[in-house]
Amino acid sequence: MSQRQLAYVFDLNKCLGCHTCTMACKQLWTNRDGREYMYWNNVETRPGKGYPKNWEQKGGGFDNDGNLKTNGIIPIMADYGGRVGDFNLHEVLLEGKADQVVPHEKATWGPNWDEDEGAGDFPNNHSFYLPRICNHCSNPACLAACPTKAIYKRPEDGLVVVDQTRCKGYRYCVKACPYGKMYFNLQKGRSEKCIGCYPRVEKGEAPACVKQCSGRIRFWGYRDDQDGPVYKLVDKWKIALPLHAEYGTEPNVFYVPPMNVTPPPFEEDGRLSDKPRIPIEDLEALFGPRTKEALAILGREMQKRRQAQPSELTDILIGFTNKDRYGI
Amino acid sequence: MRTSSMMKRMAAMSLAAAAGLTAGAAAAADAAPEAQRTIQVLSVKGGDAASPKAAVWKKAQTTQVALQTAFPGHASIVGTAVTQQLTAQAVRAGDRLFVKLAWNDVTANTAIKDTDQFVDGAAVQFPVNGEVSTLPFMGDAEHAVNVWHWRADGRTQNLIAKGFGTATPVPSEGLRSASVRTRDGWEVVISRPLQVKAEEGATLQGRSTMPIAFAAWDGENQERDGLKAVTMEWWQLRF
Repeated sequence: MSQRQLAYVFDLNKCLGCHTCTMACKQLWTNRDGREYMYWNNVETRPGKGYPKNWEQKGGGFDNDGNLKTNGIIPIMADYGGRVGDFNLHEVLLEGKADQVVPHEKATWGPNWDEDEGAGDFPNNHSFYLPRICNHCSNPACLAACPTKAIYKRPEDGLVVVDQTRCKGYRYCVKACPYGKMYFNLQKGRSEKCIGCYPRVEKGEAPACVKQCSGRIRFWGYRDDQDGPVYKLVDKWKIALPLHAEYGTEPNVFYVPPMNVTPPPFEEDGRLSDKPRIPIEDLEALFGPRTKEALAILGREMQKRRQAQPSELTDILIGFTNKDRYGI
Repeated sequence: MRTSSMMKRMAAMSLAAAAGLTAGAAAAADAAPEAQRTIQVLSVKGGDAASPKAAVWKKAQTTQVALQTAFPGHASIVGTAVTQQLTAQAVRAGDRLFVKLAWNDVTANTAIKDTDQFVDGAAVQFPVNGEVSTLPFMGDAEHAVNVWHWRADGRTQNLIAKGFGTATPVPSEGLRSASVRTRDGWEVVISRPLQVKAEEGATLQGRSTMPIAFAAWDGENQERDGLKAVTMEWWQLRF
């Protein structure tokens, strides 16, 4: 158990789906040395199969009694998008065997393969963006699954990291993480994951995905900092919810569920309905039974602002300055 | 993993193993009584035993060794190992011990080309103190075991372990392996000088017998680490 826990809140009402977070992470950590296929941060469209493909069906996590589940699978390269960065440059440029630069493997999936497809029929189709990173769980399944004790939570900030000198590449962690956020490096023969940008954190800087977010949807800080946005959104206002809490890992990334990110659906006669376009069941499947309550609080506070009344909650969610959003 | 439950689990397994109470150990004992769990070492002056196809292996006694799925050792290790038996032979040539293992394995898994792939492997294990009282299941905190681990990707590692999850590579310049793929499976020879430095593992010099145990991994079945087919009791190398 760590002494403190860094945590995140992602406001899905503000996510543009621009992937700037993904690119910030990729440029910093995963563009080399066998990590090319990995997206420690990805943004997927919901409803959708996500990244790696169908990760919600991959198994892992804990059962209701707190026992580690062993039903997890290890996704294959094709589920992540394959070796799409691996082009036939040698053949084209040096050997003259081909005249067109193409990847060696034809991609059949990728981190944003089903982007913007969503669900439903026009004009009532719907979708929203779900950015995902390692949840730096308080009860990490990856850690529980590792027989070589290579995975640990940093006591000072609760970030979950893999000791590369201890890891033997057995991949029990890849099986066990129900979020599909543990990756096997084929080049190194070891497992790797989001490190919460701890080298930045140690220098007093926010993680790259947080800092670069152009939609300013990301809030970050210590979970127990009562003056910080994470505590206020999760514990005080109770509008930020964990993703798939039923997996039992106690994730430390929380989401403000999407509300009114698309107009209401059309009724048969062409009038706008008073129902939400995204079915509440879809959101509850991701964020649990408190989703309605969270959306009700959010709706009430937004209504206050429309009537020119003050709202601490909407001010927090706007996140006027970097300091407001991540304390730095 | 709850550490306390893990410790209880391991303690229970160790007790069961020590008392010979497990079904696996009982079955192994039935299959090969202690007196029969012997592998005769053929001593030759010189010559080439390094290759599995070397002529000397036609002369060395061949022993059938039954294997069973190992105790899991950790909550995340589940499944049944595929390999049910191997044949073992041993040759002492000069100052080296050569151990040849052969077993059936229909699929050669020789490289990790995708994230869900694992390689075939085999290993022999010795108690560092040379005593059968050392637990054959990776030893324990006070009694180390020395493992010579061959992997089908060409790597061979010299390991020291003091219990589940503690196998650690240690140097051994003298550890060698060679393998051939047969129609039915693998033939592997692992060899090492009889005498090594204390930190490099078990010394075989000057012994008339030495406890030995065996393991095999089928990469096709995602076998790695504690998911493996093993001997449940020590066998004896007889020099």
